[in-house]
Amino acid sequence: MSIYILPVLFVGLFIYGYFKKINTYDTFVKGAKGAIELAVSIFPFVATIMIAVALLRLSGITELLAKLLAPVFKFVGIPNELCELVLLRPFTGSGSYALLNDVFATYGPDSYISRCASVILGCSETIFYVATVYFSQTKVKKLYYAIPCALLASIFGAIVGCLLCRVM
Amino acid sequence: MNKIWLFMVLSSLVVLIFVNPSMTLDSMISASASALELCLELCGVYAVWLGLLEIVDATGLGKKLAKLLRPIIKKLFRVDNEEIEKMIALNMSANMLGLGNAATPMGIKAMQKMDDGSGKATFAMIMLIVVNATSIQLLPSTVIGLRSAAGSSNPADIVLPTLLSTIVTTVLGISFVLLCDFVSRKFRRRKK
Repeated sequence: MSIYILPVLFVGLFIYGYFKKINTYDTFVKGAKGAIELAVSIFPFVATIMIAVALLRLSGITELLAKLLAPVFKFVGIPNELCELVLLRPFTGSGSYALLNDVFATYGPDSYISRCASVILGCSETIFYVATVYFSQTKVKKLYYAIPCALLASIFGAIVGCLLCRVM
Repeated sequence: MNKIWLFMVLSSLVVLIFVNPSMTLDSMISASASALELCLELCGVYAVWLGLLEIVDATGLGKKLAKLLRPIIKKLFRVDNEEIEKMIALNMSANMLGLGNAATPMGIKAMQKMDDGSGKATFAMIMLIVVNATSIQLLPSTVIGLRSAAGSSNPADIVLPTLLSTIVTTVLGISFVLLCDFVSRKFRRRKK
């Protein structure tokens, strides 16, 4: 079902555009023009955050943190095996999907742990990445409570997700 | 952000001096190279979505969508500007469809328009970040794809728990922002 949503929406858009007498070609080109500039301007922000994540992983700090936090995770019902995934998720999208694949390979995709990992990834976002990229074109330096709120909400989401995996 | 980044990098570097000094520079360079790769891919994604966005804009559909979502956006973000409302409406719609990367250019545009140059994030900006960072996803397509690639017998059986937990995350995120805003305003008033 869902695979049809986007193509159908696109067809609708182009037909609507035709009836509204819009030069779709010119308009599309005009919009697409902004893409390179946008990609170039977010590059330094993406690179900076990815370097930090790479260093954290190489140094073994994430693993150590995961071990240290394991009792806390166990207490709230998140499987120990997923500590590193939960810790890295806010920073890197591609990194956490790679970890998810590792979990599938190690425990089998239909195991409880793998299902928890899937739900945790599906219900969360790369918070730090979103925050840096969204603010990259503004002068904003003070984010106040934005990141703590998002992190806290995601942790609760992960806890609820693991709980739901047990019963569903 | 400055403090978090410094803490991450500094602590890793200190550890790496003892653990793996030879790989340090290599890993930094390869991380930045993969960032470039990601941006290149995003450039393609943005070209498609910004092109489509321009058409949505030109046909007036963006305005219509904004009008439809206006009651929610006005209440949630406390903004009163047609252009910003439109960008937020498109951003939220893309997020719900699970198109995080398509939502990004609209989100950035909304942020730019909300920026008052004071260097401080406004309530609406914080709300937009939190809504995006905890976004409701109707279909976790990437995860389902990975599961079926790994040979799952029922790759989609995580859809319902995912949907429920993403609703929890979004509702909590919004509540936390409202709470923090309430507390900080009370605090400021007391200071005066």
